[in-house]
Amino acid sequence: MAGVEYDDVWKQFAAQADDKAAVRGLSLDIDDRELLVLLGPSGCGKTTALRMLAGLEEPDRGDIRIGGKSVVGLEPKDRDVALVFQSYALYPHLSAQENIRYPLKVRGLSRAEQDRKVERVADMLGIGHLLPRRPAQLSGGEQQRVALARAIVREPRVFLMDEPLSNLDAKLRVHTRTELKTLQRELGTTMVFVTHDQAEAMSLANRIAVLNAGELQQVGTPDAVYDHPANVFVAEFIGSPPMNLLKATRDADEVVVGGGWRLAAPTGSRSQGQATGDGQLIVGLRPEGIEIAAGGHPAEVIAVEPFGSEVIIDLRVGDEALKVRAAPDVRPEAGSTVGLRAHPRAVRLFDASTGLAIH
Amino acid sequence: MTATPATGVVDSAASAAAEAPLIRRPKKKAGPLEWIAVHLVFLVVCGFFLVPFLWLLSAAFDEKASAYIQWPVVPTIMNFVRLFTEHDFGRVLLNSLFVAIATMILVVIAVALAGYSLSRLDLRRKDWITYAVLLLQTMPISATMVPIYGLARQLGLRNSYLGLILIHAAIELPFLIWLMKGFFDSIPRHLEEAAWLDGRSKFRALVEIVLPLARPGLGIAAGLAFLAAWSEVLMVVILIDQQDLKTVPLAFYEAMRTQGGYTEVQYGVIAAMGVLYLLPVMVVFFGARRLMVRGLMNSTRGL
Repeated sequence: MAGVEYDDVWKQFAAQADDKAAVRGLSLDIDDRELLVLLGPSGCGKTTALRMLAGLEEPDRGDIRIGGKSVVGLEPKDRDVALVFQSYALYPHLSAQENIRYPLKVRGLSRAEQDRKVERVADMLGIGHLLPRRPAQLSGGEQQRVALARAIVREPRVFLMDEPLSNLDAKLRVHTRTELKTLQRELGTTMVFVTHDQAEAMSLANRIAVLNAGELQQVGTPDAVYDHPANVFVAEFIGSPPMNLLKATRDADEVVVGGGWRLAAPTGSRSQGQATGDGQLIVGLRPEGIEIAAGGHPAEVIAVEPFGSEVIIDLRVGDEALKVRAAPDVRPEAGSTVGLRAHPRAVRLFDASTGLAIH
Repeated sequence: MTATPATGVVDSAASAAAEAPLIRRPKKKAGPLEWIAVHLVFLVVCGFFLVPFLWLLSAAFDEKASAYIQWPVVPTIMNFVRLFTEHDFGRVLLNSLFVAIATMILVVIAVALAGYSLSRLDLRRKDWITYAVLLLQTMPISATMVPIYGLARQLGLRNSYLGLILIHAAIELPFLIWLMKGFFDSIPRHLEEAAWLDGRSKFRALVEIVLPLARPGLGIAAGLAFLAAWSEVLMVVILIDQQDLKTVPLAFYEAMRTQGGYTEVQYGVIAAMGVLYLLPVMVVFFGARRLMVRGLMNSTRGL
């Protein structure tokens, strides 16, 4: 068991232009026993970052340490990390049992010891009955479990997960993610989990590291990245529906959104806001940070999307579109006008030119 | 097609569904004349290909065999007996077998490593190397006959098994390297990466994970290498003139040449030689076919 550190890591593939490196100056500390999720859109460099940790790619620059010791230049076999691939990568010519046994066989454990460990992990994951089968005879979910078992059985220092849930159907995915979180906590092994699914990241992570275009955008607990996104990219990427981002200008202690909607600026944001020159701002409002209230700023209802436990209401204010999350009994007519009120503590401000949050 | 015009995926699915019954529609019953005509053509074509083999079989068991097909009056195995007693054909067969099997082993090892390298390694100018290999394959071997002869003489590879094995392997390698590169390309990289992470060195991962999955390809390569080395004539003729190193093609060549001048050509003996020459080819063909089919069934599912 060990922590992981990325120290100014750069990686560029031969086919890439200079300004399009896969990973650009990634520095990230992952604590021992932590479950850190690397989150970002496809092509953001998250998988490359993971593969560099596994030893499947070498960084061009920078250092990667596991348990305080640099692993740069070490072969994958000498890093003592286990990787669960998106495709599971089960050996097709070996049975599930032989697949799980393989890393133990490599380590030269006695046959009895191998059997004991395989059996224990199979029990833990409830796959005892699958052991004699070949991967081709297993469903996607079963293959995923066998792949997981193969990673767990060897008790590595770090688990690496490369979108291991994305090939499962929606129901199984949610179920497995809960299990995985419990499992990681019980085993107490550091885990780095790559995904493009923000909901998966939110539900699993101790901390989330958001990446975009090879650069680290923000690291923090799920609550921190959700409530205080460091920039507009994070604000838009996390949350479903995402944070409403509205163009605004500052007027003393208030910000004015298109259509003349006046919101109280968060306290303490004034000085920095003014320092950024032209005063163009972006206001960020989570859908649940706005409430439909009589006497609020008028907005036109475009559509109402009921989800059972909640209702998402599409609205137009001036020429800006936004979404509001409301209780299931709030059902305004499409085309009607409702009043909006923003919770003062929910207002976030971003600099329109840099996209960075103004605190 | 009965599907209504539409665009995109739905359309192609609909058209596939509409065309499927067309494919499965039972064929119209052929008339008797058509049936006779088709089978007559088949018979003629088959006969055309079978005649040489028919001659081989009939002549091999006929002491009075000639260049024409005639059914043996008194079937006999004397031709085979004379082959082994007068012509030392046992030695010749063993020479051929040894050279072909050694070539096969060398080729399988070489194509496994070279094909894997071309498929996986990050080499500068890899595409150039890959095409250079293909270019080699297109060169007619007879064009380089003279330098090969000279080189073999200087290296002491004339009249040696090693010389024959090396040149036979060299002739087959370019094509089989390409073949194996294709097989390796179709095996997901994640599998060997998983083995590396499970603690295997790159070489052991290749041996334990990748090669078992490439077995159909290796089986094909082995079969083709054996057959090519078994039937190659030109290099044997220019590299071997020592009697005890003679292989089957050379024995054929000499049987026709030396006996043609003074004595009657012993067609019966030549035919017996031909029958024995074909046997291992049949064995290898049917053996490799089973391996190929079995390998394909086992290893490509679930990749």
